[in-house]
Amino acid sequence: MSTGKNAACIGAALVILSVLLASGAPAQEYRNSTEHFEALKRAAQGSTKLTWDKLPDWTGVWTRAPGIGLKFDPAQPSLQQTTAQLAPEFARKHKEKLERVAKGIEWDPISNCIPPGYPRWLTEPFLREFALRPEQTLLINEMVNDIRRIYTDGRGHTPEDEAYPLWNGDSIGFWDGDSLVVHTTQLMGGQYQRSQPDYTDHVETVERWRKVNDNIIEAEVTIYDPPSLVKPWRVVQRYARVTTPGIRIRSWVCEENANNEVFQTKEGATEHVLPGPGAGPIMKNKTDK
Amino acid sequence: MTRQSTLKIAVAAGVLVGLGVTASAHHSGAMFDPEKTITLKGVVKEFEYTNPHSWLWVTVTNDDKTMTDWGFEAEGPSTLFRAGIKKGDLKPGDKVTVTGRPMRDGRPAAAWVNVIKEDGRVLQPRAAPVTTTAPVTPAPTTPPGGI
Repeated sequence: MSTGKNAACIGAALVILSVLLASGAPAQEYRNSTEHFEALKRAAQGSTKLTWDKLPDWTGVWTRAPGIGLKFDPAQPSLQQTTAQLAPEFARKHKEKLERVAKGIEWDPISNCIPPGYPRWLTEPFLREFALRPEQTLLINEMVNDIRRIYTDGRGHTPEDEAYPLWNGDSIGFWDGDSLVVHTTQLMGGQYQRSQPDYTDHVETVERWRKVNDNIIEAEVTIYDPPSLVKPWRVVQRYARVTTPGIRIRSWVCEENANNEVFQTKEGATEHVLPGPGAGPIMKNKTDK
Repeated sequence: MTRQSTLKIAVAAGVLVGLGVTASAHHSGAMFDPEKTITLKGVVKEFEYTNPHSWLWVTVTNDDKTMTDWGFEAEGPSTLFRAGIKKGDLKPGDKVTVTGRPMRDGRPAAAWVNVIKEDGRVLQPRAAPVTTTAPVTPAPTTPPGGI
């Protein structure tokens, strides 16, 4: 091989290497979410320092792209078929859950009005808004007025001795050009969605949020949860711009009506208390007891 | 439950086209039977326009002249409003025909599928509550390398 060809080959290899470094290597090559996040940060040369005038424009009202229903991964073939590679125990639990649901036996933890928590947050219904500031980004979902706060001011995670599990975890991030890269830890266990697998309180994620075009905001998410996942689970969530004229995001409080009080039966099903018409606010009823 | 032939209760096996299952944000809809529908005529007693679910209470006169209050559950106000259903659209005393998916345990309640008012107006809680930019390009099945 001539010297010129050698130089061309080396040049091509360097280009490929630089592309890989810039985009980060595939998630499964990282041992954990921290290693993944730190590699992306190095590839972004720390971060892009954004000022108010340089922030991307994510204004508007958004909702999860229609037609996905309760599927956690929009790419999964059906509600029952997950794309997660589950550890045997969690695969068995998921299969049992689906068998119970088929018989009408289902209990959703949020029936008691606890928040859905993250990463389930990614799939919850209704409207979304993304509020960008140089030092933090608020990812807002209408249901239960659910806000994720992503610090982009360079701070690290809450120290271990001060940390405790949170519904939406502890999120830090940085801007890589127009993309927001987020690392979330210190989460609670839960389920990805109804009829979807469970995750444990070891779950951590790395996300890359970006505006694909004027009408789509996309989050590429890699989920790390070694107890439940054989390998990290990578999914792409998309949110579509809502074009309904004059639409407003509304306050969404879960406990407003005694007729919405449900309980879990001995066999694990969901049942209404159902006091009937005139029951009034649920808190009034509780006080009266 | 009292027999209600004059009320034209129609319990049909199978899922009717266009009658979606309740997209419940708060609890599983498994207490309702997705394979059955029930249609009742009655008079609005109360419309609870609340989160996480709204409840429409309809008083139904049974064959034996006794009355039963039936509850129909739907989504909360934000979803109903976006489907064109306002708080004042269903007032006490309004005559309505309601279709729903009944509870499995036989109690007088159902998931609200649609309401037909006396003037013929149809109220469907899940009638395209919002419009989005369409068509939405499906998310890629395999994410591009290295997020």
